[in-house]
Amino acid sequence: MSSREILLRKSFPGRVFALIPWVLGLLFGAVAVHLILILTLPALAPGSAYRQFARPLPLGEKRVLARAEPSMSRPSFSDPFAAVALCRFDLRQGPLRLRASADGDRPLSVSVRLADGTVIYSASDRQTPGGRFNIVIVTQAQADAQDAARERAEDDSGEAAKSAEDELRLISPGKTGFAVVRTLALRESDYEKAAARLDAVACSLETTP
Amino acid sequence: MPLSNLKPLPIVLAAAVALGVAATMLSLRGEPGFDAVRLGPWSSWPRLGNSEIDPYARAVSAVEGALPLGGGEGLAFVAQVDETGSPLDARCDYQISGTAPPARFWTLTAYDAAGRLRTNIAERYGLTSAALLHSADGAFSITAAREARPGNWLPLGEKSRFILVLRAYQANTSALASAFEGLTLPTITRGLCS
Repeated sequence: MSSREILLRKSFPGRVFALIPWVLGLLFGAVAVHLILILTLPALAPGSAYRQFARPLPLGEKRVLARAEPSMSRPSFSDPFAAVALCRFDLRQGPLRLRASADGDRPLSVSVRLADGTVIYSASDRQTPGGRFNIVIVTQAQADAQDAARERAEDDSGEAAKSAEDELRLISPGKTGFAVVRTLALRESDYEKAAARLDAVACSLETTP
Repeated sequence: MPLSNLKPLPIVLAAAVALGVAATMLSLRGEPGFDAVRLGPWSSWPRLGNSEIDPYARAVSAVEGALPLGGGEGLAFVAQVDETGSPLDARCDYQISGTAPPARFWTLTAYDAAGRLRTNIAERYGLTSAALLHSADGAFSITAAREARPGNWLPLGEKSRFILVLRAYQANTSALASAFEGLTLPTITRGLCS
Protein backbone atom coordinates (compact mmCIF):
# COMPACT_ATOMS: atom_id res chain seq x y z
CA MET A 1 0.00 0.00 0.00
CA SER A 2 1.49 3.32 -1.02
CA SER A 3 1.81 6.21 1.40
CA ARG A 4 -0.69 8.20 -0.74
CA GLU A 5 -3.41 5.49 -0.37
CA ILE A 6 -2.85 5.42 3.37
CA LEU A 7 -3.33 9.17 3.51
CA LEU A 8 -6.60 9.02 1.49
CA ARG A 9 -8.01 6.24 3.67
CA LYS A 10 -7.22 8.15 6.80
CA SER A 11 -8.72 11.43 5.57
CA PHE A 12 -11.95 10.08 4.02
CA PRO A 13 -14.06 9.75 7.24
CA GLY A 14 -12.75 13.09 8.31
CA ARG A 15 -13.89 14.73 5.09
CA VAL A 16 -17.38 13.17 5.37
CA PHE A 17 -17.60 14.35 8.95
CA ALA A 18 -16.63 17.84 7.81
CA LEU A 19 -19.54 17.85 5.32
CA ILE A 20 -22.22 17.14 7.94
CA PRO A 21 -22.50 20.74 9.24
CA TRP A 22 -22.84 22.00 5.66
CA VAL A 23 -25.58 19.48 4.83
CA LEU A 24 -27.45 20.31 8.04
CA GLY A 25 -27.03 24.01 7.28
CA LEU A 26 -28.41 23.48 3.78
CA LEU A 27 -31.50 21.65 5.09
CA PHE A 28 -32.07 24.15 7.88
CA GLY A 29 -31.72 27.04 5.42
CA ALA A 30 -34.13 25.45 2.93
CA VAL A 31 -36.75 24.86 5.64
CA ALA A 32 -36.32 28.43 6.88
CA VAL A 33 -36.73 29.89 3.37
CA HIS A 34 -39.81 27.71 2.79
CA LEU A 35 -41.48 28.75 6.05
CA ILE A 36 -40.70 32.44 5.52
CA LEU A 37 -42.23 32.28 2.03
CA ILE A 38 -45.36 30.43 3.19
CA LEU A 39 -45.92 32.91 6.04
CA THR A 40 -45.25 36.07 4.00
CA LEU A 41 -46.94 35.13 0.70
CA PRO A 42 -50.51 35.88 1.90
CA ALA A 43 -49.51 39.49 2.59
CA LEU A 44 -47.15 39.89 -0.37
CA ALA A 45 -48.68 37.89 -3.24
CA PRO A 46 -49.44 40.51 -5.94
CA GLY A 47 -52.41 38.50 -7.22
CA SER A 48 -54.18 38.14 -3.87
CA ALA A 49 -57.76 39.38 -3.69
CA TYR A 50 -56.78 42.05 -1.14
CA ARG A 51 -53.93 43.48 -3.23
CA GLN A 52 -55.83 43.28 -6.50
CA PHE A 53 -59.18 44.68 -5.46
CA ALA A 54 -59.18 46.13 -1.95
CA ARG A 55 -55.83 47.82 -1.39
CA PRO A 56 -56.24 50.40 -4.20
CA LEU A 57 -59.68 51.33 -2.84
CA PRO A 58 -60.03 54.60 -0.85
CA LEU A 59 -61.23 54.09 2.72
CA GLY A 60 -64.98 54.44 3.07
CA GLU A 61 -65.66 53.62 -0.59
CA LYS A 62 -67.05 50.42 -1.99
CA ARG A 63 -66.09 48.63 -5.16
CA VAL A 64 -68.48 46.42 -7.10
CA LEU A 65 -66.59 43.69 -8.94
CA ALA A 66 -67.40 42.95 -12.57
CA ARG A 67 -69.42 39.80 -13.21
CA ALA A 68 -67.26 36.70 -13.59
CA GLU A 69 -66.62 35.68 -17.20
CA PRO A 70 -64.01 33.54 -19.00
CA SER A 71 -61.68 36.47 -19.76
CA MET A 72 -61.32 37.29 -16.06
CA SER A 73 -58.56 35.58 -14.13
CA ARG A 74 -59.19 37.27 -10.77
CA PRO A 75 -60.74 36.52 -8.39
CA SER A 76 -60.18 32.94 -9.47
CA PHE A 77 -63.02 30.44 -9.14
CA SER A 78 -65.64 33.22 -9.06
CA ASP A 79 -69.29 32.25 -9.06
CA PRO A 80 -70.96 33.82 -12.15
CA PHE A 81 -74.21 34.07 -10.14
CA ALA A 82 -72.64 36.10 -7.33
CA ALA A 83 -72.53 39.90 -7.41
CA VAL A 84 -69.75 41.07 -5.10
CA ALA A 85 -68.88 44.40 -3.47
CA LEU A 86 -65.78 45.16 -1.38
CA CYS A 87 -64.84 47.79 1.18
CA ARG A 88 -61.35 48.24 2.57
CA PHE A 89 -60.58 49.00 6.19
CA ASP A 90 -57.47 50.38 7.82
CA LEU A 91 -58.18 50.66 11.51
CA ARG A 92 -55.17 52.93 12.03
CA GLN A 93 -57.28 55.55 10.25
CA GLY A 94 -60.45 54.71 12.21
CA PRO A 95 -63.18 52.06 12.47
CA LEU A 96 -65.22 51.04 9.42
CA ARG A 97 -68.99 50.80 9.41
CA LEU A 98 -70.66 48.55 6.86
CA ARG A 99 -74.38 48.48 6.13
CA ALA A 100 -76.09 46.04 3.79
CA SER A 101 -79.51 44.45 3.56
CA ALA A 102 -81.11 41.58 1.66
CA ASP A 103 -84.25 41.97 -0.41
CA GLY A 104 -86.09 38.79 0.43
CA ASP A 105 -85.57 35.91 -1.96
CA ARG A 106 -82.02 36.59 -3.06
CA PRO A 107 -79.43 35.37 -0.53
CA LEU A 108 -76.99 37.98 0.72
CA SER A 109 -73.95 37.40 2.88
CA VAL A 110 -71.16 39.42 4.43
CA SER A 111 -67.64 38.35 5.30
CA VAL A 112 -64.83 40.32 6.90
CA ARG A 113 -61.27 39.34 5.99
CA LEU A 114 -57.82 40.44 7.06
CA ALA A 115 -55.30 41.58 4.46
CA ASP A 116 -53.78 38.09 4.46
CA GLY A 117 -57.18 36.62 3.52
CA THR A 118 -58.14 35.17 6.91
CA VAL A 119 -61.93 35.29 7.32
CA ILE A 120 -62.67 36.69 10.78
CA TYR A 121 -66.45 36.95 10.37
CA SER A 122 -69.06 35.69 7.95
CA ALA A 123 -72.83 35.46 8.10
CA SER A 124 -75.86 35.32 5.85
CA ASP A 125 -78.99 37.47 5.83
CA ARG A 126 -80.92 34.65 7.57
CA GLN A 127 -78.69 35.09 10.62
CA THR A 128 -79.31 38.80 11.13
CA PRO A 129 -82.45 40.67 12.23
CA GLY A 130 -84.52 41.54 9.15
CA GLY A 131 -81.70 40.45 6.85
CA ARG A 132 -79.85 43.69 7.68
CA PHE A 133 -76.17 44.06 8.46
CA ASN A 134 -74.84 46.97 10.49
CA ILE A 135 -71.26 46.06 11.35
CA VAL A 136 -68.62 48.28 12.85
CA ILE A 137 -65.08 46.93 12.62
CA VAL A 138 -62.76 48.15 15.37
CA THR A 139 -59.55 47.37 17.20
CA GLN A 140 -59.67 46.39 20.88
CA ALA A 141 -58.37 49.88 21.80
CA GLN A 142 -61.11 51.55 19.74
CA ALA A 143 -63.74 49.30 21.36
CA ASP A 144 -62.43 50.28 24.80
CA ALA A 145 -62.55 53.98 23.82
CA GLN A 146 -66.15 53.57 22.61
CA ASP A 147 -67.15 51.87 25.87
CA ALA A 148 -65.49 54.59 27.93
CA ALA A 149 -67.26 57.30 25.90
CA ARG A 150 -70.62 55.56 26.45
CA GLU A 151 -69.99 55.30 30.17
CA ARG A 152 -69.16 59.01 30.31
CA ALA A 153 -72.36 59.80 28.37
CA GLU A 154 -74.35 57.69 30.85
CA ASP A 155 -72.80 59.49 33.79
CA ASP A 156 -73.57 62.87 32.25
CA SER A 157 -77.16 62.13 31.27
CA GLY A 158 -78.09 59.60 33.97
CA GLU A 159 -79.53 57.32 31.25
CA ALA A 160 -78.06 54.25 29.65
CA ALA A 161 -76.40 55.17 26.35
CA LYS A 162 -77.47 52.76 23.65
CA SER A 163 -75.79 51.73 20.49
CA ALA A 164 -78.01 50.85 17.54
CA GLU A 165 -79.96 47.69 18.36
CA ASP A 166 -78.87 45.88 15.22
CA GLU A 167 -75.22 46.95 15.46
CA LEU A 168 -72.60 44.24 15.54
CA ARG A 169 -69.23 45.40 16.81
CA LEU A 170 -66.46 43.27 15.42
CA ILE A 171 -63.06 43.46 17.10
CA SER A 172 -60.46 42.76 14.45
CA PRO A 173 -57.18 41.04 15.34
CA GLY A 174 -55.51 42.86 12.42
CA LYS A 175 -55.34 46.53 11.41
CA THR A 176 -55.99 46.15 7.68
CA GLY A 177 -58.39 44.07 5.63
CA PHE A 178 -61.62 44.20 3.70
CA ALA A 179 -65.30 43.36 3.92
CA VAL A 180 -67.06 41.44 1.17
CA VAL A 181 -70.79 41.62 0.44
CA ARG A 182 -72.09 38.87 -1.80
CA THR A 183 -75.60 38.70 -3.23
CA LEU A 184 -76.81 35.93 -5.50
CA ALA A 185 -78.77 35.82 -8.73
CA LEU A 186 -81.32 33.04 -8.58
CA ARG A 187 -81.27 32.63 -12.35
CA GLU A 188 -79.14 33.70 -15.31
CA SER A 189 -81.52 36.56 -16.12
CA ASP A 190 -81.60 37.70 -12.50
CA TYR A 191 -78.04 38.98 -12.22
CA GLU A 192 -78.71 42.67 -12.85
CA LYS A 193 -81.37 42.76 -10.14
CA ALA A 194 -79.06 41.01 -7.70
CA ALA A 195 -76.22 43.41 -8.52
CA ALA A 196 -78.58 46.38 -8.02
CA ARG A 197 -78.92 45.28 -4.39
CA LEU A 198 -75.29 46.26 -3.93
CA ASP A 199 -76.27 49.91 -4.51
CA ALA A 200 -77.63 49.88 -0.96
CA VAL A 201 -74.32 48.71 0.50
CA ALA A 202 -72.66 51.56 2.37
CA CYS A 203 -69.18 51.76 3.91
CA SER A 204 -68.07 54.68 6.02
CA LEU A 205 -65.06 55.64 8.06
CA GLU A 206 -66.03 56.24 11.70
CA THR A 207 -64.32 58.52 14.15
CA THR A 208 -62.90 57.18 17.38
CA PRO A 209 -64.24 58.92 20.50
CA MET B 1 -12.01 29.36 11.77
CA PRO B 2 -9.83 30.12 8.76
CA LEU B 3 -11.67 31.93 5.96
CA SER B 4 -10.68 29.20 3.51
CA ASN B 5 -12.94 26.81 5.46
CA LEU B 6 -15.98 29.01 4.60
CA LYS B 7 -15.49 28.65 0.87
CA PRO B 8 -18.62 26.47 0.40
CA LEU B 9 -20.85 29.00 2.23
CA PRO B 10 -22.13 30.93 -0.83
CA ILE B 11 -22.93 27.67 -2.63
CA VAL B 12 -24.75 26.24 0.41
CA LEU B 13 -26.74 29.47 0.87
CA ALA B 14 -27.75 29.56 -2.80
CA ALA B 15 -28.72 25.89 -2.68
CA ALA B 16 -30.78 26.45 0.49
CA VAL B 17 -32.69 29.33 -1.13
CA ALA B 18 -33.26 27.32 -4.32
CA LEU B 19 -34.44 24.29 -2.35
CA GLY B 20 -36.73 26.42 -0.16
CA VAL B 21 -38.29 28.17 -3.18
CA ALA B 22 -38.77 24.85 -5.00
CA ALA B 23 -40.44 23.28 -1.94
CA THR B 24 -42.74 26.31 -1.66
CA MET B 25 -43.74 26.19 -5.33
CA LEU B 26 -44.44 22.48 -5.01
CA SER B 27 -46.59 22.95 -1.90
CA LEU B 28 -48.60 25.74 -3.56
CA ARG B 29 -49.55 23.42 -6.41
CA GLY B 30 -51.25 21.04 -4.05
CA GLU B 31 -54.64 21.16 -2.39
CA PRO B 32 -55.59 24.24 -0.38
CA GLY B 33 -55.07 22.89 3.11
CA PHE B 34 -54.70 19.65 5.04
CA ASP B 35 -58.24 19.29 6.36
CA ALA B 36 -60.10 18.16 3.25
CA VAL B 37 -63.53 16.61 3.64
CA ARG B 38 -64.05 13.92 0.96
CA LEU B 39 -67.51 12.97 -0.23
CA GLY B 40 -67.23 10.71 -3.28
CA PRO B 41 -65.51 12.73 -6.02
CA TRP B 42 -66.13 15.98 -4.13
CA SER B 43 -63.67 17.66 -1.77
CA SER B 44 -64.16 20.64 0.48
CA TRP B 45 -61.86 22.62 2.78
CA PRO B 46 -64.15 24.12 5.44
CA ARG B 47 -61.35 25.94 7.29
CA LEU B 48 -60.64 28.07 4.20
CA GLY B 49 -63.62 30.12 5.33
CA ASN B 50 -62.79 30.73 8.97
CA SER B 51 -60.03 31.95 11.24
CA GLU B 52 -58.66 28.41 11.76
CA ILE B 53 -57.24 28.41 8.21
CA ASP B 54 -53.74 26.91 8.13
CA PRO B 55 -50.75 28.86 6.72
CA TYR B 56 -50.51 26.68 3.60
CA ALA B 57 -54.18 27.17 2.74
CA ARG B 58 -53.80 30.91 3.28
CA ALA B 59 -50.79 31.01 0.94
CA VAL B 60 -52.52 28.94 -1.77
CA SER B 61 -55.62 31.13 -1.58
CA ALA B 62 -53.55 34.34 -1.84
CA VAL B 63 -51.47 33.11 -4.77
CA GLU B 64 -54.58 31.89 -6.60
CA GLY B 65 -56.29 35.24 -5.96
CA ALA B 66 -59.41 33.50 -4.73
CA LEU B 67 -62.17 34.84 -2.49
CA PRO B 68 -63.29 31.59 -0.79
CA LEU B 69 -66.71 31.51 0.85
CA GLY B 70 -66.78 32.34 4.54
CA GLY B 71 -68.13 29.55 6.74
CA GLY B 72 -71.28 31.56 7.44
CA GLU B 73 -71.83 32.17 3.73
CA GLY B 74 -71.73 28.59 2.56
CA LEU B 75 -69.46 25.81 1.51
CA ALA B 76 -67.81 24.99 -1.83
CA PHE B 77 -67.23 21.42 -3.01
CA VAL B 78 -64.70 20.81 -5.77
CA ALA B 79 -64.58 17.80 -8.12
CA GLN B 80 -61.65 17.10 -10.44
CA VAL B 81 -62.55 13.46 -11.03
CA ASP B 82 -65.67 11.38 -11.68
CA GLU B 83 -67.09 8.53 -9.57
CA THR B 84 -64.39 6.13 -10.82
CA GLY B 85 -61.57 8.55 -10.00
CA SER B 86 -60.83 9.42 -13.64
CA PRO B 87 -60.01 13.09 -14.33
CA LEU B 88 -62.91 15.10 -15.74
CA ASP B 89 -62.52 15.51 -19.51
CA ALA B 90 -64.73 17.75 -21.64
CA ARG B 91 -64.49 15.31 -24.56
CA CYS B 92 -66.93 13.16 -22.56
CA ASP B 93 -70.49 13.71 -21.34
CA TYR B 94 -71.18 13.52 -17.61
CA GLN B 95 -74.40 12.87 -15.72
CA ILE B 96 -74.49 14.73 -12.41
CA SER B 97 -77.39 13.26 -10.47
CA GLY B 98 -78.77 13.30 -6.97
CA THR B 99 -80.87 15.31 -4.61
CA ALA B 100 -80.39 18.88 -3.52
CA PRO B 101 -77.64 19.47 -0.96
CA PRO B 102 -78.93 20.78 2.40
CA ALA B 103 -78.62 24.46 1.55
CA ARG B 104 -80.87 27.43 0.90
CA PHE B 105 -79.49 27.78 -2.61
CA TRP B 106 -76.74 26.17 -4.66
CA THR B 107 -74.90 26.68 -7.92
CA LEU B 108 -72.86 24.37 -10.12
CA THR B 109 -70.08 25.80 -12.29
CA ALA B 110 -67.29 24.46 -14.53
CA TYR B 111 -63.77 26.00 -14.52
CA ASP B 112 -60.43 25.38 -16.13
CA ALA B 113 -57.45 24.45 -13.94
CA ALA B 114 -56.57 28.12 -13.37
CA GLY B 115 -60.01 28.88 -12.00
CA ARG B 116 -61.40 30.68 -15.05
CA LEU B 117 -64.89 30.09 -16.38
CA ARG B 118 -64.90 28.12 -19.62
CA THR B 119 -65.72 29.81 -22.91
CA ASN B 120 -68.67 28.04 -24.55
CA ILE B 121 -71.06 28.62 -27.41
CA ALA B 122 -74.08 29.10 -25.14
CA GLU B 123 -72.26 31.76 -23.03
CA ARG B 124 -73.72 30.11 -19.94
CA TYR B 125 -71.31 29.31 -17.18
CA GLY B 126 -73.33 27.45 -14.60
CA LEU B 127 -76.64 26.32 -13.22
CA THR B 128 -78.55 27.33 -10.10
CA SER B 129 -80.88 25.30 -7.91
CA ALA B 130 -83.67 27.82 -8.56
CA ALA B 131 -83.53 27.33 -12.32
CA LEU B 132 -83.11 23.56 -12.30
CA LEU B 133 -85.62 21.06 -13.67
CA HIS B 134 -86.22 18.36 -11.08
CA SER B 135 -88.68 15.59 -10.29
CA ALA B 136 -91.40 15.78 -7.65
CA ASP B 137 -89.16 14.15 -5.02
CA GLY B 138 -86.46 16.77 -5.57
CA ALA B 139 -84.11 14.52 -7.54
CA PHE B 140 -82.35 16.06 -10.52
CA SER B 141 -80.04 15.11 -13.32
CA ILE B 142 -77.66 17.49 -15.09
CA THR B 143 -75.78 16.70 -18.29
CA ALA B 144 -72.39 18.37 -18.52
CA ALA B 145 -71.32 18.32 -22.17
CA ARG B 146 -69.80 20.43 -24.94
CA GLU B 147 -72.89 20.21 -27.15
CA ALA B 148 -76.41 21.25 -26.12
CA ARG B 149 -78.47 18.58 -24.34
CA PRO B 150 -82.17 18.54 -23.46
CA GLY B 151 -83.10 19.26 -19.83
CA ASN B 152 -80.49 20.56 -17.43
CA TRP B 153 -77.39 21.24 -19.52
CA LEU B 154 -74.09 22.52 -18.18
CA PRO B 155 -71.98 23.69 -21.18
CA LEU B 156 -68.35 22.62 -20.91
CA GLY B 157 -66.53 24.47 -23.69
CA GLU B 158 -63.64 23.13 -25.72
CA LYS B 159 -60.63 22.68 -23.40
CA SER B 160 -60.46 19.09 -22.24
CA ARG B 161 -59.59 19.22 -18.52
CA PHE B 162 -62.13 20.89 -16.28
CA ILE B 163 -63.11 21.26 -12.63
CA LEU B 164 -66.63 21.34 -11.19
CA VAL B 165 -67.51 23.51 -8.19
CA LEU B 166 -70.75 23.01 -6.29
CA ARG B 167 -71.46 25.90 -3.94
CA ALA B 168 -73.97 25.28 -1.18
CA TYR B 169 -74.97 28.74 0.04
CA GLN B 170 -76.19 29.01 3.59
CA ALA B 171 -75.58 25.31 3.97
CA ASN B 172 -77.03 23.47 6.93
CA THR B 173 -73.64 22.02 7.70
CA SER B 174 -71.06 23.40 10.07
CA ALA B 175 -67.32 23.56 9.64
CA LEU B 176 -66.96 20.51 11.85
CA ALA B 177 -65.96 17.49 9.81
CA SER B 178 -68.36 15.32 11.83
CA ALA B 179 -71.27 17.32 10.42
CA PHE B 180 -70.54 15.88 6.97
CA GLU B 181 -71.28 12.33 8.02
CA GLY B 182 -74.37 11.18 6.18
CA LEU B 183 -74.26 14.06 3.70
CA THR B 184 -74.70 12.89 0.13
CA LEU B 185 -73.69 14.97 -2.85
CA PRO B 186 -74.59 14.41 -6.51
CA THR B 187 -72.81 11.59 -8.31
CA ILE B 188 -70.69 12.33 -11.39
CA THR B 189 -70.94 9.55 -13.96
CA ARG B 190 -69.05 9.55 -17.25
CA GLY B 191 -71.05 8.89 -20.40
CA LEU B 192 -69.97 8.72 -24.03
CA CYS B 193 -66.70 10.30 -25.13
CA SER B 194 -65.97 11.79 -28.54
